[in-house]
Amino acid sequence: MMAEEARTLTIEITRFDPDRDEVPKTQEYEIQVQDDWKVLDAINYIKDEVDPSLSHRWSCRMAVCGSCGMMLNGEPKLTCKTALSDYDSKLKIEPLANFPIVRDLVVDMDGFMEKFRKVKPWIVRAKERAEDMENLSEKGTFSQSPAQLASFKQFSMCINCLLCYAACPVIANEPEFIGPAAIALGHRYNLDTRDEGDGQRNAIFRGEGTVFSCSFANECSEVCPKNVDPAAAVNQAKLGAVVDWAKGLILPRGGA
Amino acid sequence: MVQSSRHDIVIVGGGAAGLRAAIQAAEANPDASVALVSKVYPMRSHTVSAEGGAAAIAREDDSLELHGFDTVKGSDFLGDQDVIQYFVEDAPRELALLENWGCPWSRNDDGSVSTRAFGGMTTKRTWYATDKVGFHMLHSLFQHSMRFPNIVRYDEFFVTKLLVEDGVCQGVAALEIRTGEFHAILGRAVILATGGAGKIFPFTTNGTIKTGDGMALAYRAGVPLKDMEFVQYHPTGLPGTGILITEAARGEGGYLRNNKDERFLVEYDYGVGDKAELGPRDMVSRAIIQEFEAGRGFENRYGNYCAVDLRHLGEEHIDAKLPFVRELARTYIGVDPVHEYIPIRPVVHYMMGGVDTDITAATPLPGLYAAGEVACGSLNGANRLGSNSLTECLVFGAVAGRNAMDFARGSADGDQARLVAQAEEEAARVEALRGNGKGSEQISSLRVEMNSALEAGCGVYREQGTMAVAADATRSIRQRAADLHLKDTSKVFNTEVISALELLNMVELAEALAVSALHRKESRGAHTCRDYPTRDDQNFLYHTLAHRTEDGPRLDRKDVNLGHWEPQERKY
Amino acid sequence: MAGAAHPEAMAPPKKGATRTAPPRMPGSWWGAPRIRTYLLFGATGIIYLLAGTVVLRLVWALGNGPDAWDYALGSLSHPLYLIFHALTFVSLIFVGVRAFGTMMPKMQPRNGPFPPLPAAAVRGLIYSVWALLTLLLSLVLSGKIF
Repeated sequence: MMAEEARTLTIEITRFDPDRDEVPKTQEYEIQVQDDWKVLDAINYIKDEVDPSLSHRWSCRMAVCGSCGMMLNGEPKLTCKTALSDYDSKLKIEPLANFPIVRDLVVDMDGFMEKFRKVKPWIVRAKERAEDMENLSEKGTFSQSPAQLASFKQFSMCINCLLCYAACPVIANEPEFIGPAAIALGHRYNLDTRDEGDGQRNAIFRGEGTVFSCSFANECSEVCPKNVDPAAAVNQAKLGAVVDWAKGLILPRGGA
Repeated sequence: MVQSSRHDIVIVGGGAAGLRAAIQAAEANPDASVALVSKVYPMRSHTVSAEGGAAAIAREDDSLELHGFDTVKGSDFLGDQDVIQYFVEDAPRELALLENWGCPWSRNDDGSVSTRAFGGMTTKRTWYATDKVGFHMLHSLFQHSMRFPNIVRYDEFFVTKLLVEDGVCQGVAALEIRTGEFHAILGRAVILATGGAGKIFPFTTNGTIKTGDGMALAYRAGVPLKDMEFVQYHPTGLPGTGILITEAARGEGGYLRNNKDERFLVEYDYGVGDKAELGPRDMVSRAIIQEFEAGRGFENRYGNYCAVDLRHLGEEHIDAKLPFVRELARTYIGVDPVHEYIPIRPVVHYMMGGVDTDITAATPLPGLYAAGEVACGSLNGANRLGSNSLTECLVFGAVAGRNAMDFARGSADGDQARLVAQAEEEAARVEALRGNGKGSEQISSLRVEMNSALEAGCGVYREQGTMAVAADATRSIRQRAADLHLKDTSKVFNTEVISALELLNMVELAEALAVSALHRKESRGAHTCRDYPTRDDQNFLYHTLAHRTEDGPRLDRKDVNLGHWEPQERKY
Repeated sequence: MAGAAHPEAMAPPKKGATRTAPPRMPGSWWGAPRIRTYLLFGATGIIYLLAGTVVLRLVWALGNGPDAWDYALGSLSHPLYLIFHALTFVSLIFVGVRAFGTMMPKMQPRNGPFPPLPAAAVRGLIYSVWALLTLLLSLVLSGKIF
């Protein structure tokens, strides 16, 4: 690639190989970087040309697959979306905070995958599809107005990049906390007019380690690269869970 | 020590096609175990990057006949017409199912699903969810798949070999990336859904995971690759990165402009009049290259480019229909399409070719099925129409799930000891590769050589001379790839050995592609040969099959299924 | 026709574990300005704790007869107490603004069949209701009404 301008940058990267290292260490790389590179380009350059033993995850390089979240100078960021020119003197790249480190810049996200499933992130219907046909159009789709779509659309934009987990001070102290992305996802289905599972999810939300563990830090929404605003989802979910509980008190059988 | 596990079927790949196949198999057979093996967590699969939409008839002014003919014509009459007919019939049902599963399709005011215009489609039949259709489809499918306890996921497992015994595919050998240990994941049938191989080219919309692993797995197992010479160049990718600017940008009314600010596509006249921008991708890509050659392209550090002009659509329309295009343009090229042109140039996007399959998604190898971009069921022929491929993943993913499960239910377990023994051999091969300091070829430089060879020989316009050079070069690159030099000896999350295995897959495909291209002495769809500028139905109305041999691909042919629509001149 | 593959086939994959390094806190997380706001927000808890003890003290005084009650009420006008009242007032406003702000910077809760209101209108509504309630409560407590 031709470049108009290149400069030298020293990048500090966390290294950890469980077979060799007792604890993570830091390694410095001094490389020539191009002015239009993203941080990910620099990491890939190091992987290809300087040190092939560096491990990291990435794929789409267009901020939609959610693989390449890392801590850049202590802030969780998507490395494919962050311009290298934002860092003129020092860049320190670490694996996402609040996750166990598997190797180098790779974290263990299996815990997240379990939390993710807990909120029942799918359309729940009271009836099987075959018995549900009267609620579908002749083309087999539900009717949903643009306004109804807009009421949950934003919460469906989460790419599961885990930046919000790395930023959340509650997760740092209470690793079992189900976390912003999972709650936003559950809330997204609660708001979807096609879904009838809000009773089940609200019961989950009233359980231990879910919405009421949130302490309003709002960090998740600050770092979200897709403007999903998980903090809003969490706080609305708190409201929803309480209203649902109150309904259950007043209408023992009528409530969800 | 190789771990082994048994399932009814094993699906390789967790994108739209793989997930759809898994859901199909698991839902219809709650007592059956479906293994879903993927080298990344499923929501990272490259389906996520698709932008524009998924095609299926939805409006009163549309018909199966119209969608079918558009697809056949788009394929330059190389599409199999039985496959196309089945596809257009099943497409509306599949997209409606996905709606029922939560996909947030964009809506009309009356609450019905909205459709938009796309290149080569005579009417609005492309369902969309703003311009992040692949993302929403993938996440809806993945989230829906989580409700089935009988879908057993192997996330971040890299499949290195199909296990074939007694002439039937009965499982896969896979490297668990986290531990570096090998697994024999056994089933009575296997579905490949690993996507395309855009990364064999240097400039592509594809993510780094799209290394054609499934194609190479089948190719090594003796299954032919079909129509590999047909590579789709998407007309509009960002220079430098190759990031896709969706065709929906033109579907929503955007213009393409040259350095004289002309809507040059009007001059090329595809017979679509004022909708000049809605030509099929192969033709629009060629038009852009011709503009470059006539000196009417813009120029920057990455070479020539043309521009997508959305300014006349207005900020409100852009934000409502194309928010992701705006985000991508701002982040990755620093322009705001509300006020400026978006620079674009043709970019490798999709492989029409792939593993030879039929209308049942079956490959010639019993027990092996394939769906999605990895497969070539010949829906797309010589040129795919935009927005047919997402639907293809659903339609043929479901077909594969159904048929693989039927096959599994009708057969017995193979000899576990022999299958595991094969996986042990695989483990030894990869063990020898890991950290192999004796080799002399660097992974990244060999990859660059392969990329350059294909770009030079198998671009938008091709010539016999340059294709012959590419065929030779890719052969020698394949041979040299046997001697890779690796440095990382660690077992845990060793991405270097994964890169090596991916490169070994890609070099096979690169050679098959170049050799297939060289043999086709005509211009059809995306394969445009300057020495033979016209389509030659007399001599080349057939599918190319490439069989793997140690000395390189052996070519064969397969008839095109015609019957409903007669080949005619392709004029828009 | 053969049945399901194997009884154990539904079990989760036999994934291996590797030794991991423990999770780390975000680097210098207390340094970021917005984290300081969060800490300040947390610190308002101390003020509410103190306010709670003041209420307890008043209730205690109420139990000890009218003289004690009058004395306790009178002591609230002490300058130190006045500073404390002001602090409590500011904390309340801070927490309120923060809560309402994070509740819906971009998204609104579902409001039944009604079309969504512009965010500014919702925010205006919330603050008007808040101000109105505060005014009403002040009037009642100061004996101006009821």
